[in-house]
Formats: sequence, structure tokens, C-alpha cells
Amino acid sequence: MKASFFDRPEQVSKPLRNQMNPLERAINWLLLVAVFLIMILPMINVLAISLSSNAASQVADVTLWPRDFSTEGYTFIWNAQNLGRAFYNSSLVSLTGTVLTVMLSAMAGYVLVQRDLPFRKAIATGILVTMMIPGDLTLVSIFSLNKALGLIDSYTGLILNGLVSAFSIMLMRNYFLSVPLSLAESGRIDNASEMRIFFSIYLPLSLPGLAAITFLEFIGKWNSFMVPLIITTKPQLFTLPIILRQLTQPTDSTSGVLQIYDNARMAAIVITVIPLLVLYSLAQRFLIGGLTVGASKG
Amino acid sequence: MKTSNNAHAAPALPPRRKGALKRKLWQYKSIYIMILPVFIYFAVFTFYPLGLGIFQSFHRVRLIGAPVFIGIENYDFVLHDPIFLRSMGNSVVVGTVSLFINLAVALVLTLSVNEVRNRLAKSLIQTTTFLPYLFSWTVVGGMWLQILAHNGMVNNLMAAMGLSRLPFFTSSAWGRPVILFTNAWKQAGYFMVLMLASVVSIDPTVYEAARIDGASRMKQIRYIIIPQVWPTIKTLLVLGATGVLRNFDQVLIMSRPATKDSIRTLLLYIYEEGITKMKIGTATAAASVVMVITLLITITVRKLAKYDQDASY
Repeated sequence: MKASFFDRPEQVSKPLRNQMNPLERAINWLLLVAVFLIMILPMINVLAISLSSNAASQVADVTLWPRDFSTEGYTFIWNAQNLGRAFYNSSLVSLTGTVLTVMLSAMAGYVLVQRDLPFRKAIATGILVTMMIPGDLTLVSIFSLNKALGLIDSYTGLILNGLVSAFSIMLMRNYFLSVPLSLAESGRIDNASEMRIFFSIYLPLSLPGLAAITFLEFIGKWNSFMVPLIITTKPQLFTLPIILRQLTQPTDSTSGVLQIYDNARMAAIVITVIPLLVLYSLAQRFLIGGLTVGASKG
Repeated sequence: MKTSNNAHAAPALPPRRKGALKRKLWQYKSIYIMILPVFIYFAVFTFYPLGLGIFQSFHRVRLIGAPVFIGIENYDFVLHDPIFLRSMGNSVVVGTVSLFINLAVALVLTLSVNEVRNRLAKSLIQTTTFLPYLFSWTVVGGMWLQILAHNGMVNNLMAAMGLSRLPFFTSSAWGRPVILFTNAWKQAGYFMVLMLASVVSIDPTVYEAARIDGASRMKQIRYIIIPQVWPTIKTLLVLGATGVLRNFDQVLIMSRPATKDSIRTLLLYIYEEGITKMKIGTATAAASVVMVITLLITITVRKLAKYDQDASY
């Protein structure tokens, strides 16, 4: 690269970054466009099929725009296949579970930042050990346990299983660690109870953390598949993932009952992800923040 | 995290009189109450099933009557069951290859996206790659079952171009490629977000210095950006290693009779044995074997990545 008198000042004032040569840049853009298409086309295809009419959704073509626009897939799946009930179940279980999980995680995380609490290390180790135990491997015993506790086919069972996660506790602890100790100390000097310090000092100062685990927990619960698969048998208690799985099984097992067209199947998928899309658009910042903190160690 | 940790470290304990600990426990009673529900939960829903599973794996569990101790019979059966061994092979191969593909794709994407100056383009590609991470496998699996179906979008496109349709779900040869591809489609964006976070934290003056030394952009990527992302990659590798043998949702949803044997994972085997066939002894024995192997993998990867070197709790 020749350095002329004229382009030197520009280099200094407009710092660095994009110095890839034109060929490298072209390759880079080509790659990104390809990735973008691979990501977006399937989503567009699913949305377009869901908004096509029954007959048109079965046409063998590349569908990127609704053909013969119709919402009959949505009305069919919502009413005939009881997706409405599943949506209610998923909402109830996810919302209740999230509130409880966030409360429990916050309380446990607070315990872990107590400076000279006897047995603090032991408690922390106990919680960390649960992260090492692959919970899903115990699925058969989880089934036996739920059966013994009478939690099969109950909302309580759906909410209780997976109510506490070491990940959320550790995340909460990390957020609490950034609360200045002097604030808690001054609270103690003023004779505030531990509960009081927790509620009026730690929680308000850790709102981004609370938001992050609220959204992460909600998404986890909304998507939860294995637990409902194992502990529910009654269709009235099925959550969205269970219904979705039934819908995408080969049709010959359900044939003779009701023909389910592709538009209805895709409509079920769209309905399931709408809450997640809304959440993402509202809380992107907290979500990414929580994920970034959660993946960094410490 | 490190500095704040030090601030919270316990100060050197003064010599104590008898009963000081007792008083201290009493003083902190409300704190212990706060963690009580968590402890009860872990005892009931984590440790008890773990113990129960180990117990059941040495017994013949019957619907009525007490379990009968049968020693290692269940283990003997599992370790000689060709389907279990096949599942083990599938899990190891698919799990490991998948993890490395996802990391590689995410790294390339990170470096690529990092070169983009246009804000709109940047956030567009970040959002579209990250979104599927938020969806469950029932959603992503359902989407791709449709898209790769015989008359799905991909095959229709092939047909339109005069190519023959591909048997994505009806030929065992396509089982693993489909699983690997859809896994990357769903997960790579999440890895990318985490990697980008560490790229953004690079001090701009470092680039400036490199530039003054005449380093090309490619050299900067090689010697500045990749070393900066490396710790994140290591963390993701360690976290991912725990999950290598635990793929369940994806294969349960996406496997079809023709592809099942080439992709059946250990968890699917355990599910089929324990829940579908109600052979609890076999299933728990398999789970115990997998548990031990997972722990070994986790410990090995942590050692290799020197992950615990400066962990502090």
C-alpha cells in the first residue's frame, strides 16, 4: 500500500476497522448473504404456508408468499386440535413457574453473597454439584418419583419439576456481587432485618439481573419438552411442545381421524413462537446480557 | 468477577470462644431459611432420583411387590445390548462433531459479522441467526421436517432446477447430516452472540498499533481477534462437553423409522427402555453408565481446557 501525503491524515482520524481488501470484503458479504438466506428462508416458508389455504398449502412449490391467502389453518388448529387449551396450559405453567423460580433463585443467590455465613462454601458447593449432575439422565427415576408423589397429570407436577436451577442461582449471585457491601452494612447498622436488606437494597439494585433470569426462565419453561412428555398422559394437560410433537409425527398414525393440512401444522408453530418473538423484541438487552454473564465463569 | 469476589471473601477469623459458631448460626437463621426451599428441592428432585436410579439399576423393579436385588444383571444386559452400544457410538460421534461444527460456524460468523459496518445489516444477521436458539426443538424440528419433506421447500427447489428429490428422512445416509445441520442452524447464533461480546471488548488502540506496524486485516484477525475470543470458545467447549451425550429433544422429534438407527442417542435409548417399554432396571443401568461417562468427559475437558485453574468460589 502506498502512503501518500494526502491519505495519511484520514487514516489517523478515521481509525482502523475495515481494511479488508475488496476481494476479501466481497467474499465476506457473499458468506453473510448466504447465511442470512439459510436463516430467513425457512422462517418465511413456514409463515407463508401457515397463511395459505388448506389446498394451496399442499402444493409442491417453493412457497415464500401465502398462496390463496387464508387463516383457516389457524382457526382449525386452534379449535379442532385444542391448541387453545395447550396455549393456556403452557402459559399457566410457564408464568407461575417463572415467578416462583425467580423468587427462589434470588433468595438463594443472596445467601451465597453473605460474607461470613457459616457453611457458605458448603452450600455453594452443594448447588454447583447439581450443575454437574445431568438431570435429564435421571428421567426414568423422575417418572418414578412423580408417580410416587402423585404428580402425574397435574399442573403442580408440571410446575414443580425444574423449579430450581443452579444456573439461575449462580446468575443471581453474580448480579448481587456487584451490589456495594457498604450499603448492606449500613442497613445492618440501622438494625434492618436480613429480609429487609434483601428486599429494599439487593433486589432493587439487581433489576437487570432479575429481568434477565425472568426472561431466560420463561423461555426455558415455555420450551420445556421432556418433563411434560414424561409426566402427562391426559390431553387436557398437554402443553404446546407436546401438541407440536404430535402434529409433526408421520400422518399415518393419526390418519382416519382428521386430515391435518400443512397450513395448520405451520400455524401451530407460528402460534407457539409468537410469545417468544414478543419477549425477544421487548427484552433483547436483558436476554443477551443474562446469557453473556451466564456463560462467563465466576 | 474476580475483584468483587475478593471483596466478599471472609476476613481472617479471630480466635473464637466456645459457642461463637452457635451464636452465629442463630444470627443467620433467616438466611438459612431463605435457602431451605432450594435445598428441599434439590434433595427431592435431584439427589433422590439420582440415588433411586442407582438403586433401581441393581434391582428388578416390578409393578407389584418389592424390587428384587439382581446384582449387575441390568448392567450386563445393557453393556451387551447392540442397540445401547450403537446409541453410544451415535451420541459420541454426533455430539462431538456437532459441538465442533457449531463452534466453527459461530467463529466464522463472528469474524464475518464483525467486519460489517452497516448497523442495520449487522443487527439483521445477528437477530436472524440468534432467534432459533429461543425456539424449542419441537418448533425447529417441526419446521425442518416440513422444509426437508418430500414435497417441502428444499426438494421443490431441487425439482424446479431439474434435480432429483433427496430422501432426507427416508434414507439412513441422511440421518446424521440432517441432525448436524439443523443443530448448527439452531445453536450457532447463540455461540456467535457470546463470541461477539468478547470481540467488542477489544481495546481499539490495539488495532491502531497493529495498523501502524503494517498488519493486514487478516493478520489482525489472526493475532488480535481470535486470541481474544479463545477463552469464550474454551468456556463453550467445556459447557458443551457436558451436553455431548444428552441430545434428546432433537432426535426424538426428528428421527423417522429409516433414520432412527443412525441417530438414536443414549437418552433416546433410555427413554425407549424406561418409559416406552417400562424396563426400569435396564434404563436406569444405562443412565448410570452414561452418567459416569459424562462425568469423565466433563472432568477431562475441564482439565484439557485448564478451565478450573482460576475458578473461585
